[in-house]
Amino acid sequence: MLRDVLCGALRLWDVAGTVEADEDGLIVTVGRRALRVVSIPGSGLELRHADASIQDLTPLGVHAGVAGLLRHLRDELAPHAKRGRLIIGAQ
Amino acid sequence: MTPLPVSVITGFLGSGKTTLLSRLLRDPSFERTAVIINEFGAVGLDHLLVESSDETILTLEGGCVCCTVRGDLVRTAGDLLARRAAGTVTPFERIVIETSGLADPAPIVHALMTDRDIAEALRLESVITTVDAAAGAATLDAHPQSVKQAALADCIVVTKSDLCDPAEIAQRLQTLNPGAPKLTAVHGAVDATRLFSQPTHRVLPHGQVHGHDGIDSFCLRRETPLHAVTLGLFLQVVAEHCGARLLRLKGLVDVVESPGRPAVIHGVQHVFHPPAWLDAWPDDDRSTRIVVISQGLDAHWMQALLEVLEEEVKACSIS
Repeated sequence: MLRDVLCGALRLWDVAGTVEADEDGLIVTVGRRALRVVSIPGSGLELRHADASIQDLTPLGVHAGVAGLLRHLRDELAPHAKRGRLIIGAQ
Repeated sequence: MTPLPVSVITGFLGSGKTTLLSRLLRDPSFERTAVIINEFGAVGLDHLLVESSDETILTLEGGCVCCTVRGDLVRTAGDLLARRAAGTVTPFERIVIETSGLADPAPIVHALMTDRDIAEALRLESVITTVDAAAGAATLDAHPQSVKQAALADCIVVTKSDLCDPAEIAQRLQTLNPGAPKLTAVHGAVDATRLFSQPTHRVLPHGQVHGHDGIDSFCLRRETPLHAVTLGLFLQVVAEHCGARLLRLKGLVDVVESPGRPAVIHGVQHVFHPPAWLDAWPDDDRSTRIVVISQGLDAHWMQALLEVLEEEVKACSIS
């Protein structure tokens, strides 16, 4: 289900990419960039580099849920995508 | 202070907005109505065509209310409210805004819902869109703005039914905006009580996806209740990522924390009303139903998003 959400998000951001599952989680690839999403029980969703040529294993970020993960992925993979903001009217 | 109801009458050029408004103002129940008319042409005429003699008809000229004169709209509405409070104008009980035929209703609705000078004094009652039975189909084909006007409507009035059978255009409008009632006006005459009393919880019970005029409508359903936090997160993600592709979202939501009292959610693009809570379900169907009208959003994605968010909220609640 999370994979479906991430695939749909790539389409929303108008970027061509893939979301593949492996034993550690999901790998989101757009062009030459590949990021791994790992579910850490009790912590949330961790975002890491998935490119083997990048030795830095420091997580890019840990998110409590999908909302933060999507925002981070968009910033990393689709910085051109429009950013909206929820506004609740006074009524 | 009880917020005054404000309705927006929109519709493409020549679709019968002024005729409809003129007829409405002749209805005794609309005696106490202030009217703001926006005209795009260099010389405004519409306000002369609306038969009324008092000072509560104001015009906004020199631009379109959704863009260049949006600030004027807010100032005009604010000024009307101030004059009403001061007793220097006939006390009105409702405001109707007639947009120019080229207006995008979304920014107008946003201004009415969020502008700090007026949003707390006004309550957006409905967006009413006129569509011409004779020329409406050609207009929808040629002018994307007219499609958006129809897609955003709470209620659609098919006009000029004396010139052309309204059934064909009504069918197309049903595909475009299945949740909005379609009323037929003859020479501008329409049942005003039906026009202004559309329940905000009127949503569709089906889950089909339609594609027409570049606009899709679909209904997300869920048989088990959602946590309130899920609902907030869902709206947040949708607003952040869907942008202008989300035209309208309306829903009845079964909320875990409010058994038997569903939440009504209602938004135009990224701007939402605070959820309203019904005292009871309006029908026998107790499932969550969220109707989305969009330009190219994926129903499967939105449904998956809702489920993923609920799963993570549930996991947090349990732990």
